[in-house]
Amino acid sequence: MNISFSNLLDQFPGALAQGLIWGILAIGVYLTYKVLDIADLTVDGSFCTGGAVFVVLLTRGTNLWIALACAFLAGALAGLCTGAFHVFFGISALLAGILTQIGLWAVNLMIMGKPNLSLNVGRYPLLVSLRYLQEVIKGERPFYSSPLFIVSLFILALIALLYWFFGTEFGTGIRATGSNIKMAKAQGIHTDFAKIFGLMLSNGLVALSGALLTQYQGFADINMGRGAIIIGLAAVIIGEALLAWLFRNFALRLASSVIGALIYFLVIQTVLWLRLDPNYLKLLTAVVVAVFLAIPHWKSRVLQLPVRRNGGKDHA
Amino acid sequence: MRRALCIFAVLLMISVIVISTGCAAQNGAANPTEGSGQFYLVGISQLIQHGALDAATQGFKDALTEKLGDRVSFDFQNAQGDPNTCASIANGFVASKVDLIMANATAALQAAATATADIPILGTSITEYGVALGIENFQGTVGGNVSGTSDLAPLDQQAAMFGELFPDLSSVGLLYCSGEANSLYQIQTIQGLLEADGYTTRLYPFTDSNDLSSITLAAVGEVDALYVPTDNTVASNTGIIDNICRPARIPVITGEKDTCAGCGVATLSIDYYDLGYATGEMAYRVLTGQAAIADMPVEYAPRFSKMYNREICEELGLVMPSEYEAITD
Repeated sequence: MNISFSNLLDQFPGALAQGLIWGILAIGVYLTYKVLDIADLTVDGSFCTGGAVFVVLLTRGTNLWIALACAFLAGALAGLCTGAFHVFFGISALLAGILTQIGLWAVNLMIMGKPNLSLNVGRYPLLVSLRYLQEVIKGERPFYSSPLFIVSLFILALIALLYWFFGTEFGTGIRATGSNIKMAKAQGIHTDFAKIFGLMLSNGLVALSGALLTQYQGFADINMGRGAIIIGLAAVIIGEALLAWLFRNFALRLASSVIGALIYFLVIQTVLWLRLDPNYLKLLTAVVVAVFLAIPHWKSRVLQLPVRRNGGKDHA
Repeated sequence: MRRALCIFAVLLMISVIVISTGCAAQNGAANPTEGSGQFYLVGISQLIQHGALDAATQGFKDALTEKLGDRVSFDFQNAQGDPNTCASIANGFVASKVDLIMANATAALQAAATATADIPILGTSITEYGVALGIENFQGTVGGNVSGTSDLAPLDQQAAMFGELFPDLSSVGLLYCSGEANSLYQIQTIQGLLEADGYTTRLYPFTDSNDLSSITLAAVGEVDALYVPTDNTVASNTGIIDNICRPARIPVITGEKDTCAGCGVATLSIDYYDLGYATGEMAYRVLTGQAAIADMPVEYAPRFSKMYNREICEELGLVMPSEYEAITD
């Protein structure tokens, strides 16, 4: 069997491309989980919604960019539902996300008409595809059609846009809502609207990520969003734990989520290469996320001890 | 703390590298050396683990091993039901430059066909290749680098079994997982056939194993008999259906043998081992250059057999015609 370390390295471009695509989802998850301080489980449904809308529109002859925009809008609509459940119905954000996610199963089936839709790379001009990646490596395509290049550009543009947006008065209002909702209200920020808008933006990005993934792997599947939130959270948390000390700037914080997604998919590809059972991968994900979540907590405990001692001395 | 994190990251990377080189060395030692005759590496990508798909993979391996002996080795990868993992697996196979990819189930085939236009790909356990690959006017040959075997059971004969075994019944419930592409195709086909035979039909789509029991409970209260297609989720959860249908004395006709062994009265089944074996024979012809994969039409199961579940039939007091054979195993 052709197992060698260089063989693993050959597999990394594909893993990186997948990681970049999921990186867009990770940015979306960052917006809700870190900026708005909401664990939004809509993601598992809206990821598939994006892919479903995109494939249905593209295969019926819609322009690729319009189809991508519609995927984004469909995701934003899903976010609007969660936001409405949360704000107007007074349902906790976690539960509101779960409700939308469950409902989206039926919506996604309705959009697609069946559980799995093929997107044949030979028949449609796609933006990104696993096929193009291989063809660039073999030199049959120019480098700029590589998914690595295109998705990187996509991410740079998205981060630039988001950086600008979250610097505007309205964007700062959304960040303030996440940091301290009472203070934000006192400052006259419409926190309900800020939350809904944040959820819409986040799920729009998640759906965009789903639309890119369907192109990359050549199909939309009703099960493609299952566990997406865990991958997104893992990416955000891994990125944060590894890079928070270095990346202070908001744009860099977003980038660290993308890097988290890259690391996650490099690990997956390595696990597959090692012939480990992918079932254990899910356990591994849970353990890794738990450990990275625990790091800040342990950090604060370790740092607290000397402070108390010093405090005691000073007062004495 | 920064330093601690850095050290942690470095340790993590070192451990990954050590583990991976260690495994590489282990695997390397077991490798047959290339050069003595033509040596083939075949990648197998399977969507999910259950009886039918496992049998197909086993048949495929057995056929190739029988013909090529130790000149073939398999790289078996299982996506454990996550369609996105199929893309990672396909990416790995293409990077490893395998000689042939066997894709077991729809998403595995789609990901492999997206990943490469050069490496030959044989699918199996796929019901309709035109649907799976988005080909309009599919004529039986995919072309390019893709071919394979279809698990389409003779749905017309399965529909006829209701008339043959239960002539007095009038309504049939169709129970299937709404998340599976192949199931919907089978259900739509057999629904037309049953209604043409004068049965009233009702659809009972369920989402996953969580709502399977409540949907099945609803079904047994409303219809005289049930049909379940070749469905991955049903195949993994036959116990739920059996526990509800047997006490309610509702007979179940199934799309394939393993499901029938779990919850069915009777089936007209293909044998997934045979199907995989046929795929393996196709792989042999492709690998040795005896046939060009672009010209190979999709093949179907070599034989079908009428089977029944003795235990359930006895409990329901059903006597099967003599051409039915009891499922043993």
